[in-house]
Amino acid sequence: MIHDFLASWALFHNTYLAGWLIGLLLALVGVFVVARDQIFLGAAITQVSTLGIALGMWMSGVAAVATFPWLESDGFLALMAVLFSVTAAVITTRGGRAGGESHEGITGWVFLISASLSILLVAHSPHGLQEIHRLLSSSLIGATRVDVWAFGSLLGLTVFFVLANSRRLLLLALDPAMAETIGMRAARWGALLAAWLGLTVGLALRSSGMLYTFGCLVLPGLCAKHVVREVRSMFLVAPLVALSAGAVGFVLAHHYDFPPAQMTVALLGFALLLAWGVRWLRHRMSAA
Amino acid sequence: MEGTIAEPGVVLKTSGLTLAYGQRTVLADITLEVRRGEFWFFVGPNGSGKTTLLKAILGALEPRAGELSLDPIVAPRERIGFVPQRCDLNPTLPTTVREFVLLGLVGLRVHRRDERERLAWALAKAGLAAMANRNYWALSGGQRQRALVARTLVRRPSLLILDEATTGLDVPTAEELLHTVTELNRADGLTILFVTHDLTLAARHATHVALFAGGRVTAGPGRDVLSPENLHRAYGVPVEVG
Repeated sequence: MIHDFLASWALFHNTYLAGWLIGLLLALVGVFVVARDQIFLGAAITQVSTLGIALGMWMSGVAAVATFPWLESDGFLALMAVLFSVTAAVITTRGGRAGGESHEGITGWVFLISASLSILLVAHSPHGLQEIHRLLSSSLIGATRVDVWAFGSLLGLTVFFVLANSRRLLLLALDPAMAETIGMRAARWGALLAAWLGLTVGLALRSSGMLYTFGCLVLPGLCAKHVVREVRSMFLVAPLVALSAGAVGFVLAHHYDFPPAQMTVALLGFALLLAWGVRWLRHRMSAA
Repeated sequence: MEGTIAEPGVVLKTSGLTLAYGQRTVLADITLEVRRGEFWFFVGPNGSGKTTLLKAILGALEPRAGELSLDPIVAPRERIGFVPQRCDLNPTLPTTVREFVLLGLVGLRVHRRDERERLAWALAKAGLAAMANRNYWALSGGQRQRALVARTLVRRPSLLILDEATTGLDVPTAEELLHTVTELNRADGLTILFVTHDLTLAARHATHVALFAGGRVTAGPGRDVLSPENLHRAYGVPVEVG
């Protein structure tokens, strides 16, 4: 099985590398999403990125593509995905103020309006509808060397940022009120982290689709939460879970001819089931 | 206006201090002097401005008028420790007492060895020396409150501020916390500002009291301030503390 997989390396190495790098990156960013209990926000931002791409396609359909050929480029669609996800991430950090709308309310609205508009915008364009369905169902095939470099660089930057600010990030995740008290500008940090989340999700969605992006964003962090004793360990365990699931998932998918994104997310789902079991056992043993 | 104090032994001084939120003046013309090693209790009815003054001391609220001066040691506010009423952690997140307490070091440059020493010292002072690796969620309410104190102590503060830290605790647990804080005051000479509604605690432990009412503060030695007349004036009903 592994030999078969290695034999396919020459043809698909960009797909494999990009998939693993996206998994590592999203798992790392996702620790913060999980720590702040913002799972639904992750889903909403992923959906907004899809809307950005749909709008980009709609624009290329109504505009004179001969005059603006860049409207059909991958770069423009990726930019639209990032622009929409960053904007949504920053907007959804607002809300929750007394007398106003709750975070959940805003996030729910963002999710639903994006989900409906992204289909409506391309409903009369066969190619556009096909592309949106591809994004929703996730496909890693087609990743290029540029994707590998882009996600590798983004992962490097994220690791550096996490290492340089690990304690600040921990405090923001665990106790934002205390962070504010000791002089950290929690709102600014929240906006910065939301923008980073939007950037990574927007880029990942364009390359890997909604299922893989959302799955790698939340499932490794949720798995890590149930097996570690301290939040800081989640920053190590979550990427390891994502990488392991990605490695096994891609090998299995190649051998049994299944789509790798779905296989990886299914494995992450089972890993979470296992993590819940570990936590339950640990709880039983400590109670005994 | 904020400044630093040249006078030795004085940690905090206000003179004609007025604090307001927008057009609403909460405290007017407050004069107060807190000296090193004193144990102050801030008491008074709800909405009388206790937390507002704390915000000004912590640098979160600019004085509208008058002066608020701090000892140069605490002026950068890194040496002011603040223990909130409670800590709203996400209960599904795993954390240990050690990780929780070390969060207090955010913003400080501390070497690994110094970090270990600070942690051991803070946990010992808070009576949690044997619990560093304990699951934070397995702690009792009183132990969690002492973990909050340890998280503040790890910064090695010169001034320790506790905002209604005994609210929600039963009497023995509140007394246990007060014992910890009193020890810090007596043995380590730490200056304490303790905000509470519990006048009995104030009568028992305070060296000095600031009684907040109607936008004014009556401050001085505990015995003088907690007189039945002052308390009646502040609360509008006869109050006596034994």
